[in-house]
Amino acid sequence: MSQIYILCVEDEPEVLDVVVRDLSELEEVFPIEMAVNAEEAWDIIKEIKQRGDKIGLAVCDHVMPGQKGVELMIEMQKDPFTQRTRKLLLTGQAGLDATIEAVNKAKLNRYISKPWDPVELLRIARDELTTFVIEQEKDMLPYMAVLDIERIQEAIRTKGTISDY
Amino acid sequence: MTSNPIDDKRIEYARNIVQANNKNAYDKSLVINRIKELLPTSSLLGKLKKTFTEGEIVIKEHQQNDKLYIILDGYISQVKSGAGMNTPIDMLGPGDFVGLLSFQTGEPAFTTTKATKTVETLCLDHQNFELFLTRYPEISKIIQGLIFSNLSERYRRVVTLHVEVALLSKQLEQERNQLQKAIAELEKTRNMLISQEKMATLGELTAGLAHEINNPASALLRSVEYLIQSLPNMAERASALPDTGLVRFFFEAGFKREIDASGTIRARQKVLSETYPWISRGNIRLLSEMNEAVFAKIKPFMDNKKNQELMILLIEAYQSGVFLGGIKLSTSRIEYLVKSLKSYSRQSGAEPEVADIREGLKETLMILGNRLNDIVVTEELPEIPLVRCYVGELNQVWTNIIINACDAMDDKGELIVTCGKSDDDYVWISIADNGPGVPDMIKNRIFDPSFTTKTAGGEFGLGIGLAITKGIVEKHSGTIKVKDRPKGGAEFFIKLPIWKPAK
Repeated sequence: MSQIYILCVEDEPEVLDVVVRDLSELEEVFPIEMAVNAEEAWDIIKEIKQRGDKIGLAVCDHVMPGQKGVELMIEMQKDPFTQRTRKLLLTGQAGLDATIEAVNKAKLNRYISKPWDPVELLRIARDELTTFVIEQEKDMLPYMAVLDIERIQEAIRTKGTISDY
Repeated sequence: MTSNPIDDKRIEYARNIVQANNKNAYDKSLVINRIKELLPTSSLLGKLKKTFTEGEIVIKEHQQNDKLYIILDGYISQVKSGAGMNTPIDMLGPGDFVGLLSFQTGEPAFTTTKATKTVETLCLDHQNFELFLTRYPEISKIIQGLIFSNLSERYRRVVTLHVEVALLSKQLEQERNQLQKAIAELEKTRNMLISQEKMATLGELTAGLAHEINNPASALLRSVEYLIQSLPNMAERASALPDTGLVRFFFEAGFKREIDASGTIRARQKVLSETYPWISRGNIRLLSEMNEAVFAKIKPFMDNKKNQELMILLIEAYQSGVFLGGIKLSTSRIEYLVKSLKSYSRQSGAEPEVADIREGLKETLMILGNRLNDIVVTEELPEIPLVRCYVGELNQVWTNIIINACDAMDDKGELIVTCGKSDDDYVWISIADNGPGVPDMIKNRIFDPSFTTKTAGGEFGLGIGLAITKGIVEKHSGTIKVKDRPKGGAEFFIKLPIWKPAK
């Protein structure tokens, strides 16, 4: 079975620490990878691809030295490997223009502004991963432990019905 | 000696008043017509006839005059010199006398009279005058009346002029009051605009700062929440450890953590997760962050598959330390930001201070950090003499120029901030960008309050930033210029006088 990863990209270590900490509940099922800039994020993405694993969710800051969060997400949207990855912008610093670009060109799924509510962040991450698993995985059972069980069950029922034809 | 059209109009106006006031005067045309009738037949009159060409002077001011002229055709202008200018007094026409006063009294002429076009006159000296009156007794009476009428006309004119002057003074006074009111109103509006622009700059800065503070504030908030949970837990379970000093050790290790290269950490993570499949991913992640010395201390607790409690406790201690380190870092970043802001925006006191202007420049760059994310900033700021200035106001100068540069470059490019001493009296500061530069056409206008390239809406400011900037620089007896950089882009060059201690 291939692993589904969560990728966190944030240039400030003390912020990255708390983001990862807030998502750590999901970590047993969805391993977390951390990058302090877009370049490192790409190294990690390539590595995960080589192993035959997937990236289910990318949580990115916007303002970083080098490639910006929104640019990184646009690149990810162009790459077939990361096109399906759910994309969450976690930032206090993306202007309206950058955000519009992210929605239009990167198919941004969520926007959370800093400072964030940890319960909300976790809920949203779980929701997005649930969507990813429903869309991408035939066998959803291994992920159920940390996901939205109701939605997974509903999906299993629907998919089951479809496959009955 | 040409009079301007407005003066001519006033003369015309005055003449109208005089004529309107002068209905009882003798009919000038009567005498003129009679003289004209007599002219073809009278050899005396023929001799007396004198023609002046356009611009020719009839009588010059201050000179003796022994002739009396009666105008038959055309107009003669009357001008009085004095107070460094020539004031038009009157326009004399057919039937008017020229030189009447000087002719009668023998005093020097009071005004200069000059033909405006070709003028026909009857020119009489004292002898001719007597002869004329004797020869034509029927005109003589009319002439006397005419002289009287002429003098009374002049008197009326003087009265009218006095009234006119009084009216003008009153009007002037009113206009002056209105002007003063308008100036006060303008001053008020100007101050309002300036403070509005200041607020706009402040708005931009606050927006930037809010963003700048968001990151450390998030880290701070989340770290504290974590510690609220973890600390009581740790305290409770620490007694279970063989050596309670271990908690402290791991706490400090986390606090002083230095992060290794991410590649190294990931390699360790891989090895650890393969060697210790029973340890959770989150814990493996934290374990792989630890350096060798720290790791050596926790390793014994990792091998115990059945009792992971103590290992988890030490990892928690480590992470608490990490979070506390994060709190310390975030707090000092916020403190630094607030301190910079405070010093940046310090209100100008009544008295200027003697300051190193480089500090204000650096603070401004700090405060504007948010705008400068994608801009390569080069600071070459060697020591320069002190300047007596209002620090807060100069900071506004730097801010306006830097924000303009950012706007011009679309927030991407390079910004070069340099300073130096230009001579014994001045220091200079240069702020240059590699944006599109300032087109020659508008170089002279960019400091005008009414000039802006910013379109309405979507901008913070009113577009009077550079006008204010110039005002502040000039208030400091300095100069500001915009130049082209040889490699493209604009350079704002400011010179400020060096502070000289009183001897």
